[in-house]
Amino acid sequence: MATAATPFLDDLRPPAFHETWHKHRPAEVVKRRAADLPGMTALPVRALMPGLPGTIWSEDPLLGPTSLDEVRRQAKARAQAMDWTKIEQGRTVNLLANPHGFQLCGMAYVTMLEVIADHVRETRGAKVRLRIAESMGHIENPDWVKIYGLRERFGDVEECPQMGAGTKVDTKLGDMYVTRKLFDAPYFIHTHVTEMREGYLHRMLDRLMKPFGMAYARLETRSAYHFGFGPRTGQIVSRCIFESDFIQQRYVGTMVLDTTSEGVASVEADNDLKALDRRLAAGIMRNYGMAMKILGEIEDCVVVFDDHGCGVYCYAGGIAFDNMLCADVDFMDLDNLSLLAAERHDSAEPGLTMGKNAAIRGIVINYMAGGVPQPFLWDNYPIHVVGETVNKWMLNDPTNWHFERAKARVWPTLEQAVATACREGGTKNVIVFDRTPGAFRVTRELGEHLLARAPELRRKVEDVYLPKWLRQRGLAA
Amino acid sequence: MPKRVRMVAQIVPENCTGCRLCEQVCPTVAIGMRPRRPDEPGKSRNIAMLAPEACYNAQACVEICQDNAIEMVELAEPFDVGFEYVGANDEAVKALCRKAGYGRTMQICVCTDTKAGEIAAAIVAGAHTPEAVSLATGARTGCVELCMNPILHLLACAGYGDAPRNPKNGFQWYGESATLWQHVRPDGTLPEEIRETFPEFPLDKEFGDMAKLKRR
Repeated sequence: MATAATPFLDDLRPPAFHETWHKHRPAEVVKRRAADLPGMTALPVRALMPGLPGTIWSEDPLLGPTSLDEVRRQAKARAQAMDWTKIEQGRTVNLLANPHGFQLCGMAYVTMLEVIADHVRETRGAKVRLRIAESMGHIENPDWVKIYGLRERFGDVEECPQMGAGTKVDTKLGDMYVTRKLFDAPYFIHTHVTEMREGYLHRMLDRLMKPFGMAYARLETRSAYHFGFGPRTGQIVSRCIFESDFIQQRYVGTMVLDTTSEGVASVEADNDLKALDRRLAAGIMRNYGMAMKILGEIEDCVVVFDDHGCGVYCYAGGIAFDNMLCADVDFMDLDNLSLLAAERHDSAEPGLTMGKNAAIRGIVINYMAGGVPQPFLWDNYPIHVVGETVNKWMLNDPTNWHFERAKARVWPTLEQAVATACREGGTKNVIVFDRTPGAFRVTRELGEHLLARAPELRRKVEDVYLPKWLRQRGLAA
Repeated sequence: MPKRVRMVAQIVPENCTGCRLCEQVCPTVAIGMRPRRPDEPGKSRNIAMLAPEACYNAQACVEICQDNAIEMVELAEPFDVGFEYVGANDEAVKALCRKAGYGRTMQICVCTDTKAGEIAAAIVAGAHTPEAVSLATGARTGCVELCMNPILHLLACAGYGDAPRNPKNGFQWYGESATLWQHVRPDGTLPEEIRETFPEFPLDKEFGDMAKLKRR
C-alpha cells in the first residue's frame, strides 16, 4: 500500500497487451511502453482519496490482495443467499457476461462466473451456458475466451455480437430488439462490474441495468439509445427492456463485482436488480467521484493511449478516458445535459453541455484499439502516432475513416512523439491511459500538482458534488 | 463527405462452411453464395462470394464469421464512396428531414460523417432500403450501429418503412426501435402515462434543456 511519505508507486506496471480478434499483436509492435519513459510515475488514487475502500482482489500486489479466495468466498455466500428456485430442475440457463468484466477484473470476474455456474448446476441440476455480450465485437476486444480459457472452464461458451440475429421485445414505449442468443434459454443470470464507464450515458440512473439497453440490445435499439432519447433519459431503454415480459419471464438474478479504481471491493448480488442498483449507487459515486473530478484539475497535458480500448474506452486509474475528455462538465450533475457531441453545438447556457477539453494539448497513440468512432478526437487535438504499423491499423479501422483528416504525424519512437507533442503543446505534463489499475500514470510534476490539488477537491467532492448527486437521485448519503 | 475505402473482404474458401452468416449481416449486401468449385479446398457445397465494388470495409462479416473464413485485405488503390448532394431535390430533402425531426446537418453516421440531409437526399433520389442508402452514401458501413435507427426512421418517414429484408432471412436490420421522441405530442409534451412510468428520469427538464441548444 502507498504511504503518506512516498505516495508514488514507481514499480506499478501496466497490464500486458493481448492479441486481438483482428489478429493484431500490439506486444510485437509496441517497442516501448509509456510507463518506461523517463520521468514517469504512478500516482495512486488512494493518495488522492485515503478513504477509498480496501480491495478483496487487485491485479497488482502493490494495490491489495491478488488471491482469488475472498472473491470466491463472497461469491459463494451471495449465491447461497439468492433465490434460484425459479430455475426448474434440469433446464438451461444462460449466464450473461460482458467484455468489460474480463478487461477490468480479469480472473476475479472469471471466478465469480465460475461460482455462479457451479452453484446453479449443483442446486438446480441446470445446464449453464456462458454467453458473452460483445459490444463493438471482435474489433475492440482481445480474445477473452482464449486468454482466460473459458471453453475449458465453462464448456458451452459463445460470444454474441450485437449484429447477430435479434428478437423483438414488446416494451412500455414500443418495440425494441435484443440479441437472440443471449436470451434463447428459459432463464438467464445477469452479471456486471460497477466501474464508472460511460457515465455520460447512464448518468448513474439504473446503472446496473445498462447492459439491457446496450450490451444485450441489438443494433437498432443501441442506435435508438443514442439518437432517440435525451442525454439523461437513454437509460429508459434499459429500464423498458428489463421490465418487459420477455425479459422478466427469463430473468433469475444478478451478481456483480463492486469495484474501485484499485480492483474489486466486494461481490454483491440480489434477485431484485433495482434494489441492488439502489444499494450500490451511492458507493459507486463516492468511490469514483474523486478519480473522475481530479482529471478536471489538469491544466495542460499530453494524453498517451497505450492499451486496448478505443479512445474514450482507454483506462487510467480504473476509470475510462471519457471522464477526462468530458472533465469540463460535471456529467453526474443531472442539471447538465452533458451531450458528448456538444462540441458541435452552441449552447445558450455555458456549462450545460460538454465541450472540448482545452487542457489536452496533444494526443499520442502508442497503441489503441479500433471499433468506436472518435472524430471528436481527430478534429480537436493534434494527433501523433508511434510507428507505421499502428498508424495503418488506425487508418484501416472501419469506424474511424476520419482518422485520415487528423493528419497524424507518425514517429519512429514514443520518445519523439511525446517530446514533439509536449513541445508544440507548450506542456511538460503527460498522462497515460494504459489500464494501470489504482493509479494514474503521469509525469512526476503532474503527479505532484494533482496531489497538491487533492485536499481541496476532496472537500468539494464530499461537501458539494456528492451531496448533490445523491440528492438528485433520491439516495441517502 | 465521402468515405475512403482502404480494405475489402476476401473469402478464405477452405475455411468457409457456407453458413451464410456473412451474407445476412453485410450492410451493403456485398456477399452472396455460390457453388464451391471442384478444385477448391473445403467441404461445404456452397461458399461465400464477394462483390468487391460493393464492399465498403464495414467488417461486419469478419465480426460475425465463426470460422475465420473472411480476411480483410488492403487495396492497392483505395476508392471513395459518398453521396453527391449537388442536384438533389432540396425541397423534398428539407421536407423529409423535417418530418423525421432531424436538422439537415445533423450527423447521423458518426463513422462516415454522413449528415441527415445526405441520407434524405439519397432516399429522395431512389435509395429506398437501408442497403441502398448505405451503397449510395457510405453510411452504416463503420460500426453499423449508431446510425441504424435514424436511417430506418428516415426511410419510414419517406414511406419505405416496410422494405423487404435483403437477403430474405437476413438480419442486417429488423425495424425501427422505439424512441422517446416518437411519443412527444405536437405541443412538445409527453403523455402523462409515460411521465408516470419513469418518475426517476428528468423528462421535463430534458425537453426544456434540449430546446436551449441551437445548431451552428
